[in-house]
Amino acid sequence: MIAVALKLFKVMYRHMKNSQNIKEQVKMIGMDFGSTTSSAMIAVAGVGMNSVTGRMAFSAPEIVYRSNVEFTPFRGAEIDASAIAELLDTWLEKGDNIFSGGVIITGLAALQQNSVHIAALIKERIGQAVIATVDDPNLESWLAFMGCAALLSRHFKNETLVNLDIGGGTTNPAAGQNGQVKTTGCFYIGARHFQFEPGTYRLINISEYGYSMLSHIGVTNEIGDTLGVDILNKILDLYIEALKAIARGSLAFFESDIGQRLCQTSFILPPNVDSPLITFSGGVGELIYKITENEPIPSTTFYGDLGIDLAKRIISDPFFSKQITTIRPENMGRATVYGLTLHNTEISGATLFLPDTSALPLNDVPIVARLSMSCDLSDLLNSISVVAQRSGKACIQMLPVTDSEGGALPASLQQIKTLGDRINQALATLTIDLPLVILVPGNFGKALGNYATDWGKSSAKLMIIDEIPDRNAQFVNIGSPYRGVVPVSFYGIY
Amino acid sequence: MKKIIPLKDIHVPVPGPDEVYSFKILNEIFYFEGLKKLLGAADISKAGDRTTDLAPKNAMDREAARAILASLTLQYLYDNPLTADDGSVDSVMRAGYEIDLELFQSIAHMTMGDLKDHLLASNGTRVAAIGLALTPVMASALTKLMDVHELVYLPGKIFRPTKARTLIGTPKTLSFRLQPNHPKDNLDAISMMVYNDLAMGMGDCLIGVNPSDGSVDNIAAMLWHIDKLRRETGAPTQICVLGHIKSQLTALKQGAPVEILFQSFAGTDETLTGEFDVTVEFLDQAVETMKNEGPLKDIADQFMYFETGQGSEMTYRKHNGMDMATCEALCYGLCRRYDPFMVNNATGFIGPETHLNDFELMVSTLQDHFMGKLLGLPMGISPSYTLHSNSHLEGQQMAVQLATAAGANFFMDIYLGTDRMLAHFVNSGHDDQTLREIYHRNPAPEFLQWAVQKGIYIQHTDGNVERGPNWGNPRLFIKSDLEFQRLHEATPNAPGFENAGPRPAHKVQEVIRINQSVGREAVHSHLKPGLFTGFTFREFVSTAVDHAEHLKNPEVGSKLSKTDLDSLSAEGNDVQIIITDGLSAEAVHHNVPDMIPVLMDGLKSRHYSLGEPIVTHFGRVKLAECISDVLDCNVAILLAGERPGGDALSSKSMSAYLVLKLKDEKARKAAAIYSEHEKIRYEYTLITNIYQGGLPPIEGGSVVAEKVMEILENQAAGNRLEDLLKAQKSV
Repeated sequence: MIAVALKLFKVMYRHMKNSQNIKEQVKMIGMDFGSTTSSAMIAVAGVGMNSVTGRMAFSAPEIVYRSNVEFTPFRGAEIDASAIAELLDTWLEKGDNIFSGGVIITGLAALQQNSVHIAALIKERIGQAVIATVDDPNLESWLAFMGCAALLSRHFKNETLVNLDIGGGTTNPAAGQNGQVKTTGCFYIGARHFQFEPGTYRLINISEYGYSMLSHIGVTNEIGDTLGVDILNKILDLYIEALKAIARGSLAFFESDIGQRLCQTSFILPPNVDSPLITFSGGVGELIYKITENEPIPSTTFYGDLGIDLAKRIISDPFFSKQITTIRPENMGRATVYGLTLHNTEISGATLFLPDTSALPLNDVPIVARLSMSCDLSDLLNSISVVAQRSGKACIQMLPVTDSEGGALPASLQQIKTLGDRINQALATLTIDLPLVILVPGNFGKALGNYATDWGKSSAKLMIIDEIPDRNAQFVNIGSPYRGVVPVSFYGIY
Repeated sequence: MKKIIPLKDIHVPVPGPDEVYSFKILNEIFYFEGLKKLLGAADISKAGDRTTDLAPKNAMDREAARAILASLTLQYLYDNPLTADDGSVDSVMRAGYEIDLELFQSIAHMTMGDLKDHLLASNGTRVAAIGLALTPVMASALTKLMDVHELVYLPGKIFRPTKARTLIGTPKTLSFRLQPNHPKDNLDAISMMVYNDLAMGMGDCLIGVNPSDGSVDNIAAMLWHIDKLRRETGAPTQICVLGHIKSQLTALKQGAPVEILFQSFAGTDETLTGEFDVTVEFLDQAVETMKNEGPLKDIADQFMYFETGQGSEMTYRKHNGMDMATCEALCYGLCRRYDPFMVNNATGFIGPETHLNDFELMVSTLQDHFMGKLLGLPMGISPSYTLHSNSHLEGQQMAVQLATAAGANFFMDIYLGTDRMLAHFVNSGHDDQTLREIYHRNPAPEFLQWAVQKGIYIQHTDGNVERGPNWGNPRLFIKSDLEFQRLHEATPNAPGFENAGPRPAHKVQEVIRINQSVGREAVHSHLKPGLFTGFTFREFVSTAVDHAEHLKNPEVGSKLSKTDLDSLSAEGNDVQIIITDGLSAEAVHHNVPDMIPVLMDGLKSRHYSLGEPIVTHFGRVKLAECISDVLDCNVAILLAGERPGGDALSSKSMSAYLVLKLKDEKARKAAAIYSEHEKIRYEYTLITNIYQGGLPPIEGGSVVAEKVMEILENQAAGNRLEDLLKAQKSV
């Protein structure tokens, strides 16, 4: 019987419906090259309108490939290009037709020539689909939060959640509420500032930050020394003090000499938050949850660094321990690469103003202005003239008009028409030969584009990509269209 | 297991000419020409039978028909099979003649009135046995003679248990089919709904999903997913994905776990083959396949699941002159041939075309349950209501209470009662638990044992069962916060999981009710052209006499009233905009004011000639063709409200039908070849979901304008246009 009505109601739809909501799968990739380790992940997900939110989104992502975590191959300080090439070929065996994703290169791997080599090797293999981002600490913090704690944060939607992504070189904290990252930071607190002969505490390398820490606790150990238990404990005490200061949002520690030394970008908790929920990710984060799950882990300094000791100290610290057993994030050790794979990219709406798709992909587009929907002509003229002065390309991010509490209001027809007319006037005043990309927050890209070009009559190279929320970033990559949507990813997050 | 007898071996008497029956009440004589008209007139008046002119004309007309029916003998009804429009006995009618002939001979002399008295006075064993000696038409005649108490009392004596993994339909049990439908077959949402309602002790009859995408691959994927949920939770039950039977069988051949095979049934061969694309011969083979190859072949006694419900034959106008209840009885005759595991009656689902209000819905529900049970079927009932009929939650709940009292084997179960795909409303797990507690019914025994182990129920030493500590807590099956959050986020219309006793917590119920109220008001709202400012328009009305007729009969909304039609003449414009209420005037009010200016700006930018927009009260989609015919426009843009579901915002959803009149003969020929429809005159492109939460009206205006430009430039619409555009792009 239900089939009767299904047939009655759907037969016509089947014959006539445009392809807007048809379930399609795309492939995404994330690659993370760090000072110590590198890894990759490939996922497939549907692209379509989310039945709950009504926005275009990835749905039901499924990880189809998870690489081993490999040591990043170096020859001295330089990346071993042939070994990286081999690594990429293994990872990309299933990496055809990549729709979106991201690559992040940090630490030693990001040193000038190294990152150029890696980026070139990736481009050779997957073209313009993903772009390598070099040393973007706040992006890393953001990705780690999105990769491991965003869902959990939506579950505890009335609480603030701080994720501490602790890796070899840095700790990247991000605080979020109801799934949205509010603040990020980056500190030189990592397991690999002291490197040991595996299985022992004999130092084989000390980073500049490692030396600063030794000096702070008043010892003068050098490479070749074996660290005693008391010194080791003092180092770990310092780590714990710093991590607690981050998690509590206590600024005092980072005003000290050592605190200032360890801070790359500062981290301030959102207002009125004193006891946030805490999760961990990164290599140390993964160890923390493995140990508490009684999973087998190798003996101390097996990895040749302080990772295992630090994980154990965090677990035994009363401030951290109570949360570790009750709150468990996803993807722990691979939060960044998971974030890169699945969260680095926003999907545009399905109705864009994109008269010339051949201009895409457009990568490394600087966001030169962030204008309100109600901006006036002079704002637009100024911004577009900045775009025109750039030798390459540039884009403008439109921001929604907000209510008194900061909530975004939907754009009215009058606002869209007015803005469209102003863009039209601005483009008539300033002739620019570049594609002008405008990112808009709501679902009105086609309407705005049509008003801005007098329904396609203007010859300006205008592209309007809609349903793109502001990420407060410096750069954006806009990928090639796929069935009417384009992937958009940001980097250089403030 | 029941053996299937070849149709040709079932004896059916040769039909004779129609008789005229008459009956006198006081001075008035009532005439009925033929048995079909008599059967129709003896029922209560229902919307579907009124449309086909089979309903009684008034109370006396009905009582006259009932009196005549009561005087006919069983032998008479046996000897006069009802025929298809061509005068033949169709295969569905023939299947119904497979009865216990020996027992029939012993009662054939009884009149229908005698039979009714005899059944009421007999015990359950006797009633159950007699049911197997009756043809469907006899059951239909009998049901017309009964009142509500009798329709509840009599089937309550009969038990028709069936067994797959669980044994359902035994005394003092009440079982449920989970129906976790999702508009896009989202597996996470399906998981959430299955976990939640299993934790309510439901699902002992079946976990069955109506797929949105009926492809074999999707059916198989969904089957594997539900199979995984069944294994993971350990719930003793069986699974089904209710795609077309042919697709399910292909999935079975590929190894998918088609544990129970589903098919919708109709009471005429013309509907069954013409609309449902199955024949009795095909069904015979399908049942054999399940017996021999189904995954439950070694443990189940039955394998089939059929769905029926009064009105489908009428909706397709393939009822062969028979009333809805008689067609329904004929479905049951066919169901009986296959000894099904479950038969579900979904009366009320289609809407006001078949059942106008709660009263019609309640009576049909009880009639169907009675006829099915009597004829030997394991009947479940799924009284449902749509927001565009005059049936309501309260009416649906009364129908379910009565059907439980009457001893239905099972009901449906959808999380919070809202079918997120089919935009109708049925039982929730809370309703089901409430019924179990009121009527002291337990789940199927195997399922009860499992549910007790899980703490969903507690069984006391005296056998009494009550809700346990884990009842209604989906976290029983979803341990991690992350997983719970992920599944919850995928589930539309899921305001919460809190309960108050067997009922949903008030704050949860409130959200669902408010959403429905928005949808209902949207359907019943009247078009207010005064809201359309900023453009001039002409205001017309369809041939529907009022809003009620518009809702219940789609055909009257497809034409302009004669006066309005006569006032129009050919204008020959490129584009004509038509605004009509469809099934939600609210959707039109919500979207048109923002959409029309953008749409008109876009069309004017190309200097198309535009007819002055037309606003029509009580219109449906096909109105576009009626208006295009007279105005001779090239493209008509018809904006109409969609049928509202249970989501408040989507109740404001409008569709744009872009209707191309194939004026250009070259284009028409291309369309004829493309559609394999030689006489094609119109092609359609449909843009749906125009509302703030979907395609917002401003953007919608722009999208529609661009699409119309493409249609006009290519003189093509629909899939043919999309193919042409693809080909142009690839050049």
